[in-house]
Amino acid sequence: MTQERQPLLKVRDLNVVFGSRHHAVSAVAGVSFDIFPGETLGLVGESGCGKSTTGKALMRIVEPSSGTIELEGVDIASQSGRALRNIRTHMQMIFQDPISSLNPRRRVKDIVAEPLDCWKSVKGTERDVLISDLLNKVGIDPAVYGNRYARQFSGGQCQRISIARSLAMRPKLLICDEMVSALDVSVQAQILNLLEDLKHEYGLTLLFIAHDLAVVKNVSDRVAVMYLGKICEIGPGDSLYEAPAHPYTKFLLGAALEADPDSPMHSQVLEGEPPSPLNPPSGCRFRTRCPNATELCASEEPQPREIAPGHQVACHFPLTITRK
Amino acid sequence: MSENEKLLVVKDLVTTFATPGGPLPAVGGVSFDLDQNETLGIVGESGSGKTVLSRTIMGLQPRTNVTVSGSALLNGFEVVGASERAKRQIWGTDVAMVFQDPMTSLNPVMRIGKQIDESLRVRHGMSRSSAKHRAIELLELVGIPSPQQRYSAYPGQLSGGMRQRVVIAIALAGSPKLLMADEPTTGLDVTIQAQILNLLDELKERLKMSVILVTHDLGVVATRTSRIIVMYAGRIVEMGTTRDVFQDHRMPYTRALLESSPKVASPSHTRLVTIPGRPPNLLKLAAGCSFAPRCAYATDRCRQERPELQPAGDPGHLFACWNPLPTTRGATPQ
Repeated sequence: MTQERQPLLKVRDLNVVFGSRHHAVSAVAGVSFDIFPGETLGLVGESGCGKSTTGKALMRIVEPSSGTIELEGVDIASQSGRALRNIRTHMQMIFQDPISSLNPRRRVKDIVAEPLDCWKSVKGTERDVLISDLLNKVGIDPAVYGNRYARQFSGGQCQRISIARSLAMRPKLLICDEMVSALDVSVQAQILNLLEDLKHEYGLTLLFIAHDLAVVKNVSDRVAVMYLGKICEIGPGDSLYEAPAHPYTKFLLGAALEADPDSPMHSQVLEGEPPSPLNPPSGCRFRTRCPNATELCASEEPQPREIAPGHQVACHFPLTITRK
Repeated sequence: MSENEKLLVVKDLVTTFATPGGPLPAVGGVSFDLDQNETLGIVGESGSGKTVLSRTIMGLQPRTNVTVSGSALLNGFEVVGASERAKRQIWGTDVAMVFQDPMTSLNPVMRIGKQIDESLRVRHGMSRSSAKHRAIELLELVGIPSPQQRYSAYPGQLSGGMRQRVVIAIALAGSPKLLMADEPTTGLDVTIQAQILNLLDELKERLKMSVILVTHDLGVVATRTSRIIVMYAGRIVEMGTTRDVFQDHRMPYTRALLESSPKVASPSHTRLVTIPGRPPNLLKLAAGCSFAPRCAYATDRCRQERPELQPAGDPGHLFACWNPLPTTRGATPQ
């Protein structure tokens, strides 16, 4: 459906390796994906699967070891200095802990204005009007709260301020790393709705990284599932949740807790824990916990293949697809 | 059922902290009881008083700047007002606690075996060798692979899920009648969360314990509990069987809480129902219902008069609301 459009972000064979030779951990091992303009790509996985590292590598907060990251055709991975700084204004990131990502001793309007002041793009009254407008957009009254300090705000409000700050440079791509995980459900719902509204208003493209499957499904058009540094399945949210093709996706969905007393108790619980990325299993990285694993899985690494339009899975034995 | 069959009877429990801004009623008059071998869920958002309530029941409140009134009768022992020495008699044997963060509730520089031994030797006067034997049994009971080797591991060498299993093993060392689990799976991955919840369920059956599951996550309590307490601003706003609370809730807050969490089953980009505003400041509680400022059904009465818990249709189902939602059951109680 999105084939003819040019992707906004094109990531190919991204690798992030931490540490040196003997203690090298490949946190992200050959990840490739596209994000199309106006789309939200959800990235889910358990802790340690490399989803946050992927997000940070795109911003070059951590350095990718190899691979290309193209934002509108320009490779971010090979840029440096001023060119990199220029590209970065098109991408912004929102972090998990809303309180520690804001300086507690600075005033709200100065926090939001920081990117503008760095680039000296707007000044004087124009700057003030822009900041007031941004704060209004995220539901914080600039007249009342603009001069308060970040430490005086609750988690949900801090996250709103973070959103306002990230929108100041009018970015094209917003990377949200677990941005609602620390919030209460009622506040989480407010922030998710706000994000959806702003996405339409500002024409944003989102990479939404989270561990909560229900949250990811709610915001995403397409979802990528990561396990131990690799993407094991990527596809349109609705069909991926309805008919997961990778056994790991199925287990992950089965373990998600639904707030419904009639939902089945976990009939199939995934045993064990992810292996250490210091010494990943040969072949398919999931094979040590997979009930369907065979010798082929140990000897040969499954390559991503398309099983339906836009739906790719990296598995030798994808689960039968019931969809037509 | 007579009251002496109950494992825990809580009556009008109030926990007030003295703060620079004045007295802060973190728990503002809570009454409930708990049967033997029952799993009760306490849900609420942050600041609703669920953690303070569970700690007060255990007698774990700080020594200063706090006043507790009311009664919490745990297996015949009055916790409120009991001395530290007396409470030490019930900790571990009558009630034990599993805390949220398995990293900070274990000593990082002490081998996990020693941390389990500690309570066995101090509380049960076991010898070094029999304590070790029992500790390894407990590690096996909570599903830790190769317990013999793990006995001498440090917490840092274990994953979050394994550490939480160790914390559960420590809690089980004294064969408690009540296991208080405060957000036992928050911060764990979904697949590990499922493992830990299954383990708690299995242990509850096997050891004939009661479990209180304190959580903010409605998904955690949906299939694991027989009854649920919903807390808001330090008070119980609804209480009943899990089915009643989920499917026949009468209090608007309960519905709002249920509707605001995204569902895996609903399609992408479903607009979420939100609760306007924020939880109240407990230092400045208004006279009426604490939820009134955020409630779509609030009337003048709600703002002036606090609703008390009143019975709904089913036995044991209580709610505190002047304008309750219509029941989804056929007969409306009069």
